[in-house]
Amino acid sequence: MRLALLALRNLTRNRRRTAISLAVIATGTAALLLTAGFVAFSFEGLSEAMIHGGLGHLEVVRQSTADSHTATLERSVAEGLDDWEALQARIEALPGVRAAAPTLYAAGMASTASGKSAAFLGVAGDPVRERRMGFTLKLREGEALADAPPREGEDRVLLAKGLAESLGLRPGDRMTLLAVDPDGMLNALDAVVAGLVTTGVQELDTRYLKLHLASAQRLLGSSGASNLLVTLDRTDRTEVARAELLRLLAGHQPPLAVVPWTARAPFYGQVRALYKGIFAFLGSIVFALVVLATSNTLLMAVMERVREFGTLRALGTSISQVAGLVGLEALWLGLLGALLGDALGAVLIVVLNALAITMPPPPGAVDPIDLQVLFVPEAFAGTIVLMLVVLTLASAAPIVRVARLRIVEALTHT
Amino acid sequence: MENAPVFRARGLVKRYSMGDAVVDALRGVDLEVGAGEVVAVAGPSGSGKSTLLHLLGTLDEPDAGSLEVAGTAVAAMDERARTLFRRLRLGFVFQTFNLLPVLSAEENVELPLWLAGVGGRERRARAREALAEVGLGGRVGHRPDQLSGGERQRVAIARALVHRPLAVLADEPTGNLDSETAVAVMDLLTALNRSSGTAFVVCTHDPALIARAPRRVFLRDGRVVADERGAAA
Ligand SMILES: Nc1ncnc2c1ncn2[C@@H]1O[C@H](COP(=O)(O)OP(=O)(O)OP(=O)(O)O)[C@@H](O)[C@H]1O
Ligand SMILES: [Mg+2]
Repeated sequence: MRLALLALRNLTRNRRRTAISLAVIATGTAALLLTAGFVAFSFEGLSEAMIHGGLGHLEVVRQSTADSHTATLERSVAEGLDDWEALQARIEALPGVRAAAPTLYAAGMASTASGKSAAFLGVAGDPVRERRMGFTLKLREGEALADAPPREGEDRVLLAKGLAESLGLRPGDRMTLLAVDPDGMLNALDAVVAGLVTTGVQELDTRYLKLHLASAQRLLGSSGASNLLVTLDRTDRTEVARAELLRLLAGHQPPLAVVPWTARAPFYGQVRALYKGIFAFLGSIVFALVVLATSNTLLMAVMERVREFGTLRALGTSISQVAGLVGLEALWLGLLGALLGDALGAVLIVVLNALAITMPPPPGAVDPIDLQVLFVPEAFAGTIVLMLVVLTLASAAPIVRVARLRIVEALTHT
Repeated sequence: MENAPVFRARGLVKRYSMGDAVVDALRGVDLEVGAGEVVAVAGPSGSGKSTLLHLLGTLDEPDAGSLEVAGTAVAAMDERARTLFRRLRLGFVFQTFNLLPVLSAEENVELPLWLAGVGGRERRARAREALAEVGLGGRVGHRPDQLSGGERQRVAIARALVHRPLAVLADEPTGNLDSETAVAVMDLLTALNRSSGTAFVVCTHDPALIARAPRRVFLRDGRVVADERGAAA
């Protein structure tokens, strides 16, 4: 007969009360798991949206550029990569690298024949690489850019819907782009609107314009690229790949930086902090509720068995043994409740995902999403630890109570 | 110390105060119980029988007087020492049996051995033996709620004796039993006393039981008023 076994058996005495306690603990556990799964889904959705929305996992850029700007969209070609083709070949030879795409950022004015004009943020790239990297611009109207570099005079652009609206342009219309080249000269490029897109980010949609790398190079009178955006097969390898790239590119002149996507998306950090805050808040509510609910029932269970504890003490059970018995009963409740909660959470996650509930767009996004709740293994393990801590706390009062029992009074207790 | 009496009480005083009212439950009790003795403690309700038993059992402390158990002054023992003493040297039988409801008869009897650190195999063997001695060899797996009152008290007696204590203290052990069962339980105690050499101090109201005891101590208002040995008159 072990103390732990005796504690477990004692849970079978008042089955109804034990069932209620287990239900409270399991519900709290499942609530935390669902929240963790939803938060993880939101993080992951946000991360993947940002990575595949144009950030890539890693950016290879001149150290001086990385030092002076944070926003990727502000990388200038003047301090860009002249030898990007050689770099691209070396980087793409690394395992786990899906593609290294040259990107050229060109900001300037867009104007139309009817005299309308608006500032634009042009992002130029290689459509073949971008497809491979999963850079997904949602084409709303018209057609995508051709893979092959356009010939001179046949440049085509994709306009974000907001920008197209302010310019009054539709697919097939002509427009002129004005931008300052690295030497400070104002250049112009005539282009046809190939299609309308959305970036998925509202603010960006009022300025965003997409063009072929060759078109942008023509506009800026340069053969370089602002940076190389590197996409990996797996997001969780970002830091490892970054170290590999740094090793590969060490000694390059001018010095190069490898910037992870998180450093280029300050917004992500804020959202993450917000979600973490929400999770911590909910977690403390669950924590407090379960502590309150279970400490009360544990105390009741002790009060009902005062005479039994007196008997145990009379027979020579030490104070620490009877206190341990009460503590172990609480720990069993916590463990069993958390395991039940983990099972319940797993079932609920499967059910919720099968229901494919549509959610309003997450912050900053345009399109509604299908609710998905992820399995977060750390959360499953974490809730077990958490509930053990919760029940340890909840057992504090009953333990003090039982440790202070005076044997004679306990024996004559009715 | 082996020749020291199991209990030697001198001038035991126990006082309870409830608000302003002070109750003198024991007013100077002298009592010596030798090894293997059977003593019935009798007296009217409120005379201090239970109080005396609690003091002898080191469950409570006297307000005055001295108590030696097996030659050791209880006053010199701390909480831990008293717990160990009860665990290894004493057995208790209660009016309400006080078995653990979630344990089988055998497991209840194993409890003192488990506390004493006896290994599983020996523990089971000795618990079965003790249950057989009280005539419950066929009930080892029963839980208390599957046993009659008399059977429960016999399990409790087996529990009190299984670790071969110096003394068993029993407070109204037959109080919840019908008179026939009560006599049987008392006879069992006497028989076990002969076979085990364990001393018994039994508090009781029951004249039939008092008459069967070889030594009878009468209490009244917290004092010993008679101490008789030999067959009752
Ligand atoms: N915890 C207590 N607080 C106050 N008074 C108490 C307490 N315990 C016992 N007493 C009083 O001490 C006296 C002796 O009580 P005790 O229980 O020892 O009597 P008893 O002989 O065992 O009686 P009974 O035959 O009814 O069991 C009684 O007057 C009782 O009311
Ligand atoms: Mg009494």
